[in-house]
Amino acid sequence: MADISSNGTTKVLVGGHYQVAKSIVSKYPNSRSAVLPLLFLVQGIEGHVTDQGMRDVAGILGLTPAEVLASGSFYTMLKKKPTGEYLISVCRNVSCAHRGAHKVINALSERLDIDPGAVTADGRFELETAECLATCDGAPSMQINYEDFYNLTPESAVDLVDRIERGETVAGERGETVRTQREVSYETAVAGARLPGTAGDIEARTVGGESPPEDMKAGDRPKLRDDEGTHGG
Amino acid sequence: MAVSQALVVRKRLVEVDEPWKLDIYENTGGYAAAREVVTTSSPEDTLEEVKASGLRGRGGAGFPTGMKWSFVPKDIFPKYLVINHDEGEPGTFKDREMFELDPHQLLEGMIIAAFAVGASKAFIYCRGEFALGSRRMDQAIRSAYEKGYLGSGIFGSSFDFDVVLHRGAGAYICGEESALLDSLEGHRGQPRLKPPFPAVKGLYGQPTVVNNTETLSTLPHIFNHGIDWFRKWGSEKSPGVKVFSVSGHVNNPGNYEVPLGTKLSDVLELAGGMLDGNAPKAVIPGGISAPLLTITDIAMDFETLQAAGTMLGSGGIVFMDHTTCMVRNALIAAEFYEHESCGKCTPCREGTWWQVKVLERIEHGEGRQEDLDLLLDMCERMDGRCFCPLGDTAAWAVRSNLQLFREDFQAHIDEGRCTYETDHRTLVGARAIGPGDAGVTPQPSEGIGSDSEASS
Repeated sequence: MADISSNGTTKVLVGGHYQVAKSIVSKYPNSRSAVLPLLFLVQGIEGHVTDQGMRDVAGILGLTPAEVLASGSFYTMLKKKPTGEYLISVCRNVSCAHRGAHKVINALSERLDIDPGAVTADGRFELETAECLATCDGAPSMQINYEDFYNLTPESAVDLVDRIERGETVAGERGETVRTQREVSYETAVAGARLPGTAGDIEARTVGGESPPEDMKAGDRPKLRDDEGTHGG
Repeated sequence: MAVSQALVVRKRLVEVDEPWKLDIYENTGGYAAAREVVTTSSPEDTLEEVKASGLRGRGGAGFPTGMKWSFVPKDIFPKYLVINHDEGEPGTFKDREMFELDPHQLLEGMIIAAFAVGASKAFIYCRGEFALGSRRMDQAIRSAYEKGYLGSGIFGSSFDFDVVLHRGAGAYICGEESALLDSLEGHRGQPRLKPPFPAVKGLYGQPTVVNNTETLSTLPHIFNHGIDWFRKWGSEKSPGVKVFSVSGHVNNPGNYEVPLGTKLSDVLELAGGMLDGNAPKAVIPGGISAPLLTITDIAMDFETLQAAGTMLGSGGIVFMDHTTCMVRNALIAAEFYEHESCGKCTPCREGTWWQVKVLERIEHGEGRQEDLDLLLDMCERMDGRCFCPLGDTAAWAVRSNLQLFREDFQAHIDEGRCTYETDHRTLVGARAIGPGDAGVTPQPSEGIGSDSEASS
């Protein structure tokens, strides 16, 4: 892992992004719970979890960068190096494997000319094998940026790549359009958050805005450093 | 006699268009049970009713739901309710379906549960990969707030209840409830030492009830129809209906809701039977963690499967026919556990790694005779010695493949190769890809079940 000590890079979570970060933090009685969503926010802005992004998250939450890295590095959806715009995750677990997942992985690997775990030279596609995606009813199945594709053949999987490459809009099994990796990461970050100025603004809800129960320890309340948003941006 | 489903939790999502919308949910009886409970009942009576229903957790462990709630101390505040929607047990896709298609059903169950245990705040831990489910739930929560079904003084009562949607980030271990809580607190998802159990000291150190999506989605129906209605299905110790996810070498993979105690053979019939009319060779009865079965004449309930040396688990049933290489099947499981081991305890972290090494060797035709007993010995040293069930079940999965299908393993060693038609280049993932040992790639077919049998 790269050095994540201070190096003067431009901050990521500033301005509007800082306001979004604050909304996310306010979902929780304890601000540390916001580590993962804030890392998704960084990934949504930067394309992956950057060192500076981790420093920003640490600053907002009152943690050390090492604590943020310790949490974030545990999870497969948080990518610590640049990812493809379209992440193709082919299930390799039991139901899919017994119905031909390896043929799909092979075909995609040949079509993209990369091994699973790698990103194409143009940065458009990343191929990975995934553990059970709870889509065994469509085995062999895969996700493209977390939209599901069912009952794949090597041909149909390659065809999806071709269509995305041609700029076509592609929809998954449940009719949802495949979005870019950044869009999906951003969406994951703000899930359940009530962003300022939108319907369901946190001010209009009780979530995050309630008075702390009397017997709740002081440290259980969100620790927001309001000055963080004003530096470096 | 044709087998039919007993639709309860899945009824709306099978019979109604766009069941995730609030008006549709209300028009089909939605929120009546929660309203009734919150405005006319007491937390004590609500808890007693759930206890009397005999409802057992649908996440995997099968712990009685009412008893779990009763461990929550009455005089400590705040208390939390946490929904475990981190469905990731291989072969299981039931929670995902009902969460995507019927999110209000879960919200209604959550209101009842929170009222019973005195929690005024709940967190839904939604698996990170479930993009559509998260979208639907986010919208469902918004609409429920607009209607006053969530927020302060819900249904005009004095009960306040807030729901926060939280996304995971890709880690199977977070389905273990104490690891889930650590993850929700912003840490690495590693299990906690128990006791104290979450009911006493859970999220943020406060009393916390962690329940599975299907468990709480069942609650509104119990309160709408009564305990006798619920208990008319299943057995004394396993009452009610259960959603089974059926996949593998079957004609119609999907979710099927049947009374607990339904014969496995009937569940197979619901799923259209085996591909090409083949006979099942092996069955995973409750997610990959559950030891294999080789019979289908068995009642699918908690106590029967336990007596048979396996478990109902998550209800993820995977049927495999004679084309299945059981060494490969064991290797798929072992690689899964190796990848998902959190690294906290040595028997699991090291044991899963060694299981993969030895199984790879056998599958690639380099196995030694002593490897078979070595594998069993490793399983013995893991089982019961791991910090949490992940490592134990890794041992069960590998051991049951080897014990039940030792002849498959022996043939690999005797012949120095996999005796099944398998493309070894991409056996189970990136790491298995290497030059030099490419097998013959079988031509695409209707399904793997129609591939030719063992290669000569």
